[in-house]
Amino acid sequence: MELQKFQYDNKIVKWFAYATMFWGVVGMIAGLLAALQLAIPALNMELPYTTFGRVRPIHTNAVIFAFVGNGIFMGVYYSLQRLLKTRMFSDLLSKVHFYGWQLIIVLAAISLALGKTTGKEYAELEWPIDILITIVWVVFGWNMFGTIIRRRERHLYVAIWFYIATFVTVAMLHIVNSIEIPVSFWKSYSWYAGVQDALVQWWYGHNAVAFFLTTPYLGLMYYFLPKAANRPVYSYRLSIIHFWSLIFIYIWAGPHHLLYTAVPDWAQSLGVVFSLMLIAPSWGGMINGLLTLRGAWDKVREEVVLKFMVVAVTAYGMATFEGPMLSLKNVSAIAHYTDWIVAHVHVGALGWNGFLTFGILYWLIPKLFRTELYSKKLANMHFWIGTLGIVLYAIPMYWSGIMQSLMWKEFTPEGQLKWQFMDTVTKMIPFYITRAIGGTLYLTGAVIMVYNIVKTIKAGSFLANENAEAPALEKVYNTHGKEHWHRWIERKPVQMMIVSLVVVAIGGIIEFVPTFLVKSNIPTIASVKPYTPLELHGRDIYVREGCYTCHSQMIRPFRSETARYGEYSKAGEFVYDHPFQWGSKRTGPDLARLGGKYPDSWHYNHMLDPTSMSPGSIMPPYPWLFDDQIDVSSTVAKIKAMKRLGVPYPENYEHVAAADMEKQAKLITESLGKDGISILPDREVVALIAYLQRLGTDIKHEAKKDTLK
Amino acid sequence: MMRHTKNKAIAAGLLLLPVFGFAQEAGSAPDHTSYFSNALFNALLVLIIALLIVIIALGQTLRNIAGSDYLIDKAKEKDEKNKHQDTIRNAGLMLLLFSGLSMEAQNAQASADSWRIGGLDMLTFYSMIAFIVLEVILIIILYRLITGFIKPELRASVQASKPKEKTIFEKLNASVDIEKEHDIILDHDYDGIRELDNDLPPWWKYGFYLTITIAVIYLINFHITGTGDLQTEEYRKAIAQAKADVAEYMKNAANNVDETNVKQLEGADIESGKELFIANCAACHGKAGQGSVGPNLTDAYWLHGGSLADIFKTVKYGWVDKGMKSWKEDLSPMQIAQISSFIRTLAGTNPPDGKSPQGDLYQENAAPADSLALTKDTLAVKADSLK
Repeated sequence: MELQKFQYDNKIVKWFAYATMFWGVVGMIAGLLAALQLAIPALNMELPYTTFGRVRPIHTNAVIFAFVGNGIFMGVYYSLQRLLKTRMFSDLLSKVHFYGWQLIIVLAAISLALGKTTGKEYAELEWPIDILITIVWVVFGWNMFGTIIRRRERHLYVAIWFYIATFVTVAMLHIVNSIEIPVSFWKSYSWYAGVQDALVQWWYGHNAVAFFLTTPYLGLMYYFLPKAANRPVYSYRLSIIHFWSLIFIYIWAGPHHLLYTAVPDWAQSLGVVFSLMLIAPSWGGMINGLLTLRGAWDKVREEVVLKFMVVAVTAYGMATFEGPMLSLKNVSAIAHYTDWIVAHVHVGALGWNGFLTFGILYWLIPKLFRTELYSKKLANMHFWIGTLGIVLYAIPMYWSGIMQSLMWKEFTPEGQLKWQFMDTVTKMIPFYITRAIGGTLYLTGAVIMVYNIVKTIKAGSFLANENAEAPALEKVYNTHGKEHWHRWIERKPVQMMIVSLVVVAIGGIIEFVPTFLVKSNIPTIASVKPYTPLELHGRDIYVREGCYTCHSQMIRPFRSETARYGEYSKAGEFVYDHPFQWGSKRTGPDLARLGGKYPDSWHYNHMLDPTSMSPGSIMPPYPWLFDDQIDVSSTVAKIKAMKRLGVPYPENYEHVAAADMEKQAKLITESLGKDGISILPDREVVALIAYLQRLGTDIKHEAKKDTLK
Repeated sequence: MMRHTKNKAIAAGLLLLPVFGFAQEAGSAPDHTSYFSNALFNALLVLIIALLIVIIALGQTLRNIAGSDYLIDKAKEKDEKNKHQDTIRNAGLMLLLFSGLSMEAQNAQASADSWRIGGLDMLTFYSMIAFIVLEVILIIILYRLITGFIKPELRASVQASKPKEKTIFEKLNASVDIEKEHDIILDHDYDGIRELDNDLPPWWKYGFYLTITIAVIYLINFHITGTGDLQTEEYRKAIAQAKADVAEYMKNAANNVDETNVKQLEGADIESGKELFIANCAACHGKAGQGSVGPNLTDAYWLHGGSLADIFKTVKYGWVDKGMKSWKEDLSPMQIAQISSFIRTLAGTNPPDGKSPQGDLYQENAAPADSLALTKDTLAVKADSLK
């Protein structure tokens, strides 16, 4: 057979590697800032751009989509070419992909700092960026499939199955969750409302973890771990079973983020049982990784690359065991809304994604630059500092999470809550400090790595186009005797993609369709009315400032929560909430029934200086709300958009909305005036007060009737 | 061997001694400063003990290696070993000394009202941190010693001499021996990566089946037979249970007060009322009750009545539409009585920056003589402020 000569494109790999390191450090710095802000509120700097509610989405988006995202592309572009014995399909597409992705990241960072957000976690980016993401993702898929079609290797290796599943699923998740009605160029409302929005969002959110942080990285593990260890993969059959079961089961598990909420019981139960069934498929990846190292453990002691990979795979195993445990309703009852969840995701992010990325970089860069790593000692140092950083990060957060939750739930024998919410906040500070120290160590390790790699690059010489040769594929394929049944689909990339899509679509469809179509899932409540225009503006300010990053709006049916916050939340209360704002963390108290709890002047003072009304508060002040004017020019567009989403405003209401708004604003300024506060009625804080005073009041009277019965 | 063990036992005892002594001291202290009620202290203590266990385990490993046959005939390395052991012993001694000293210092300092971290005074916090750092350093030293002993060639000889018996882990996984791997290697070759055809580990496979079975039972239990309580029912039961528990407790409780029988409290109860007032009410009503967001509580004018029972009721149930929340879930009846009693003592104190009066003039009817005087006083103040 004739050998064909061709070249691998290393340049694109190099670029993605640089981007990974750069955005990794940037994202970690943002994370460290957010962590410090919780301990030292002055670090919010009283600026809108640097306030926690905006910094936190910047951190999460940067580490997920910029750091891990570029890490995925780096690994895929390197391994795909070699596993398929061909160059990438198109250098131009590679370039478009690279620059497009970096553009998205920059736009994301700027727009999030400016408060342009949809208010849906990990999907905060506004609709123009969503479209850009879709385009660049298609470019990536096109390039990948072009490469697969031109391959010189008959069968697709397990890593590529994971890449294909990642591609189709992320496309599906991103498109379905991002359906929104634009109000202006930088503002949109989610198409879904309340319970449905929550279900779609956490189907997305959970599977962003699954198909952005897990499956592509499993693909990378399947290439780089056996390469670095120079050992055969432990079990081909395990690869098959755990791949298909993982992608099938993962999709269903989303509702475990919504246990004990207003989501229908049956959907919650599906979330619980599928999470439980996910343990084995997840562990399949860990077992196949760790057992591949059989007979190479002596190498693990010497090779820093393998050390990173072993910790990564172990962290993956721990996080994927912990996840299903957290999905049990009685565990979720304790862990939800606390730092425990923060600890859990960071074991995954710092351990699994971070350490695997570092391992790959230490292995890859010397290869690309045809040299040895500048300093093994520094790399070892990075390993130990990073590991210590993870430990110091995770342990305090586990501790504080459980402690806070138990304090929230504690009653005196007389039947009163034992602790004010503030008591539980001030107890968190030392843990926040220790966590920030852990984060600093981890970041220090990453900086050491960058230094080490820059030195390596300087010493080496880059090979942009690597020569390779392989025979062309024969037109007809003859199986040599009996082969495993799965070999068939490994030869058929298109079928592979279609079957993957079908497998991952099932769970979502079964969970969504009844929630959208069957009325009994969201019982209507007659007293629930649409927001007034002023409240709507206030709500948009609430979303813009990222209040949901610290406050939930979902009271669970527990005695400790109804005693503290009021009647538990009902599905019918959220039917006009585009987007839903249930939140996932209670750094501050739940706000679902905040309306009417305090006078307007309390809110006024509290937004100006939270500690004046709640001594000991770690909430940042929002002074700009007292200077900035409500964007009245957008009122008409907002009401119109809401009407298109089915919110029952009266006909032509958009034309009288402005007058209604002025009336309500005046009422609020008058009530503030009585307490000796004077403010113009067109200031943002007035709209925000209107919204906060509305929260949860629709059914207050009905709830009272209920309890009297 | 015997000597070693004894040494270690003594060392361990010594290490733990200061901790116990300290614990006793803290435990016997009558005030609220018991260290064991402090989460940070507990966290650090657990970390210290965990690291100690690691040190002991590493020490054990090191001794095993050092005492193994491979080294006995290597006189040179044996010398080195002794030297290392000395190092360890010295390090351990230093650690002991330090811990003892730091604990002493702590005791001396415990009462001093110094700057605190998470409820721990600075000295305790930093001595514990220093202890942890020392432990970490010791672990690193031990680790380096161990890796230094296990030179690659040595490891090879250790492995070669081992009988080829399957480990428990390998049995659990039903792995094919590494030596027999070529029997199960598949003809796949992807950029040099080969694949083996090992069986699925049985524990994994049956674990998977088990989770599937549990899943089916779970769904049947909650959604088909309905034998499990869904969340609304679970909530209803929890509330009923709590009500019963509280009623049971209140039967025998001394502080069973409500708006029908509340009496003006005095002395220490007023002090407690004041503390509770500062913590819970001052944000809106001012530290001296002069009013800011909420109304002035020192004048004679009341929105919802100024009698003790009225105030008790206002605090207990709130006036939610006017911005006064209900406190009955946060404060016990006794605490509400304390606050209400304290508020009654504020009448006529006339603090600076008082908010102007709201509501109706309240006059005590059928009040005892001394409280009547108080009312007169208040009226005089009122008249003053009206001038």
